[in-house]
Amino acid sequence: MGSPALSWFSYVRRTPLLIFLLLYTVISGGPFLWVAAMSLRTTPEIFAAPYALPTRLHWEKFVEAWTKSNYGTYFWNSVIVVVTAVALLTVIGAMVAHALARYRFRGSRLVRFAILSGLILPPQLMILSLFQILLEYGLYNTLSGLIVVYVAGHLAITVYILEGFFAQIPQDLFDAARMDGYSDFEIFWRITLPIGVPALFTTVTLNFIILWNEFLYAVVLLTEDEKRTLPLGIMHFMGSHQLDVGMLATGLMITIAPIILLYAFFSETMIKGMTAGAVR
Amino acid sequence: MLRPARLRARPEPDARRAAPATLALFLAPALVLYAGFMVYPVLRTFYNSVHTIRPQGVQEFVGLANFRELLSTDLVFWKAVGNTAIFAVIATTADVLGGLLIALCLFSRPPFAKLLRVVWFTPVLMSYVVVGVIWVWIYDYDWGLANSVLRWLGLGAWEQSWLGDPRTALGSVMVTHIWKWLGFNMIIFLAALSALPSEVLGAAELDNCGWFAKLVYIVIPMLRPTIVNLTVLSFIGKMMIFDLVWIMTGGGPLWSTETVSTYVYKRAFDWNTFDLGYPSAIAVLWFFIIMIFVVLMTRVFRQRDKLEF
Amino acid sequence: MAVVEIENLTKRYDGGAEPAVRGVSLAVADGEFMVLLGPSGCGKSSVLRMIAGLEPITEGTVSIDGHVVNHVPARDRDIAMVFQSYALYPHMTVYQNLAFGLRRRSVAPAEIERRVRGAAERLGLSPFLARKPHALSGGQRQRVALGRAIVRDPKVFLFDEPLSNLDAALRVSTRNELIKQQNEIGITTIYVTHDQVEAMTMGHRICIMDKGEVIQVGRPLEVYGKPANTFVARFLGNPPMNLMKAELGAVDGRVRCHVAGISIELAERSVAAVASGVILGVRPEDLYEMPVPTGLGPMAEIPVRVIAVEPLGAETLLVLASADGSQEFIARVGRQTRLNPGDRSTIALDTARIHLFDAATSRAIPHGRA
Repeated sequence: MGSPALSWFSYVRRTPLLIFLLLYTVISGGPFLWVAAMSLRTTPEIFAAPYALPTRLHWEKFVEAWTKSNYGTYFWNSVIVVVTAVALLTVIGAMVAHALARYRFRGSRLVRFAILSGLILPPQLMILSLFQILLEYGLYNTLSGLIVVYVAGHLAITVYILEGFFAQIPQDLFDAARMDGYSDFEIFWRITLPIGVPALFTTVTLNFIILWNEFLYAVVLLTEDEKRTLPLGIMHFMGSHQLDVGMLATGLMITIAPIILLYAFFSETMIKGMTAGAVR
Repeated sequence: MLRPARLRARPEPDARRAAPATLALFLAPALVLYAGFMVYPVLRTFYNSVHTIRPQGVQEFVGLANFRELLSTDLVFWKAVGNTAIFAVIATTADVLGGLLIALCLFSRPPFAKLLRVVWFTPVLMSYVVVGVIWVWIYDYDWGLANSVLRWLGLGAWEQSWLGDPRTALGSVMVTHIWKWLGFNMIIFLAALSALPSEVLGAAELDNCGWFAKLVYIVIPMLRPTIVNLTVLSFIGKMMIFDLVWIMTGGGPLWSTETVSTYVYKRAFDWNTFDLGYPSAIAVLWFFIIMIFVVLMTRVFRQRDKLEF
Repeated sequence: MAVVEIENLTKRYDGGAEPAVRGVSLAVADGEFMVLLGPSGCGKSSVLRMIAGLEPITEGTVSIDGHVVNHVPARDRDIAMVFQSYALYPHMTVYQNLAFGLRRRSVAPAEIERRVRGAAERLGLSPFLARKPHALSGGQRQRVALGRAIVRDPKVFLFDEPLSNLDAALRVSTRNELIKQQNEIGITTIYVTHDQVEAMTMGHRICIMDKGEVIQVGRPLEVYGKPANTFVARFLGNPPMNLMKAELGAVDGRVRCHVAGISIELAERSVAAVASGVILGVRPEDLYEMPVPTGLGPMAEIPVRVIAVEPLGAETLLVLASADGSQEFIARVGRQTRLNPGDRSTIALDTARIHLFDAATSRAIPHGRA
């Protein structure tokens, strides 16, 4: 990173820069540390001294959050919805991307246009009708309904990323496979997918983060407490127990813990994944 | 006499053509889902927008009445449009410029650059709900970080009810939104900066350019395509903003943070009369407005010649 | 106009085990065209960039006109550089590219106009002043890069393999163009390349580098005629010099060299006896088909078997093996040859033009009249 021609600063001239770096690091990372600290303190402790470090580590709050405040249910709902949706997105999206990248057929341009135009559709354009549709099909307030909506809604970005990658696999591999007698599906399974693993990884990461955090569709399409995903659960808690900052903080920690954990080990992948749509 | 060369050899297996059945297998699941849960809803929203939709499936065709009401008598709508427009313009400018700024900071190879990059990207990964709740706490009048810092700096007179005062609420939500997305733009800019040819920067060095001149005359002009792309992307995202506003203020106080999307939600689910037609009209109208802006922006900012290097 | 001196220049990159440049010392006279020649990775570009100020110096000094400039920033060294990739500003027109450096130095607008138009005229760029780089061909871009340097009227010109990205025909014409410009303008120039033809035709002196060190410095024909070691011997000249293992022996007070199954008397020479054996070098053009043209000095005759004949039109290359099978070498003979692959024949070697190298150190063994 950086080029020699841009990096010649004497340390004296760099002091304002270093101060800024420190400041911004505190601003961007500080709040999470604060939440982490608060998640281990009780609400009275927090109100007494909001910015102090925990004196006693109240691990039991996590248990309480999980059971009494229902965060356990919310967590599992999130897991079920996100894992299923990401799995479906990956498989279905890969199949479409493979077909678009590899085969010439009448209507391929139409299909590509149709699917990629989903990238610019605002959610508001669909959310009200989806509400009606899911009601009519009895999928309202079900996790399956949400899963289906998530998959449909994120096919565009998945196909966009995967197709770009699959199209770069040299045609020679496929010609050779054809001559070796492989069927179309075997070609997909044995060539495109294994070679496309980096791109698949990218889309899995991207979709996981987006869907784990998703709020709008969930808030419209789920109403029962038993069905809520984590973001909804927090929102609900915020609404009814606004002052129980300690419990909220613990809930927040439960929500962000999986992401932080993955981020600690896979930061590069996650950064690349999240920005994949925008970097050509 | 030449005979046409009709060599009827066995046709080579064209690996680029597939049997219709195979294609169907690959495309069907996606297309079915997509048609049913993306295309159909969009069409249905258009349909709804020219109807009044009441509970129990009662609906009545009203033509353009919804749109007329929207454009002429709905003050809340116009307030929401105003808020959303202000938000989109200011927040986009701030987070594109901000992203560029912090990318440049990291690009000049400070100590711990790799670690800083990871930390600075963290807000991007978090749900709007998490970000929203944290910042509600930061903006809290009594014990929130914002006011506490002001008091600590001796600027206690400046403390506000950030989210409770109609004058500061929109700005406060904007700051939070910018905070969340700066890291994203930073990564894009870092990639673009790394792609700059170092010899051109070397030539600029020899042409008597210090770091500032290089930035102004060389780096930023060469980053123009990236800047334009990010601006458009950012703008679209902010025109559709819902999550953060809903969580932090719910559109209040006094409609000062009401955006078009929150208004749509309220008209659909939080209104005293249940009618899906009217909010559908809002969604349709807003979609067209966004499209017009996107076309305008790409036309205006389009690079007239390629920036090949 | 300036004298450039580098002394003991060393460059170590972070994480590099070996220094990229080791103790390089060189003096370039005022108005001289010095070529830094060597294979990729030999450190010549690093040396150039250190002279320019684009690369920090690990050890050693760079001086211009007697002033050490190690800590002078690149822009204050009054140096102009032409980069391998031309490094034109893609978002500016040709005119703006040429004018940029002058504008940044607050030169008067009238003067800028004069210089830019002058350089454009001289390089045939006047019709293109309003175009941007992407609308120019490779050769045109190269000329803009050159123009940008000329317009600055600096003390020193630096060239970093400017012709490498051009196709062969363009390379030849641009090379002549550069020679012409150099003669007209006459600014001290340091030119980096890996192409020996460029080095031989363009330089007043050549500095050959390998693995970060200077191997030899001298006028082109000097270096060609008296290579300091086997590396230089094979680097200059196409086809490269033939190198053969040989042994020295003394017979009747005369020194004889045993090679390729024959014995050559090294008349009129005093050569120190070397324990580890020698390498005998002879250039392809110093091997002759029989009968030998008149007017040459004492020749040695080697029985050979012809392996291949490569007629190139203007000359013919013969790939030969010595009759005893110990050596293979290439001879360069006239337009046509009577020989065919598989023939057995004799090749004459001009004994006045052989080179001897120490087999252990690869260095040339000085020889000459006693």
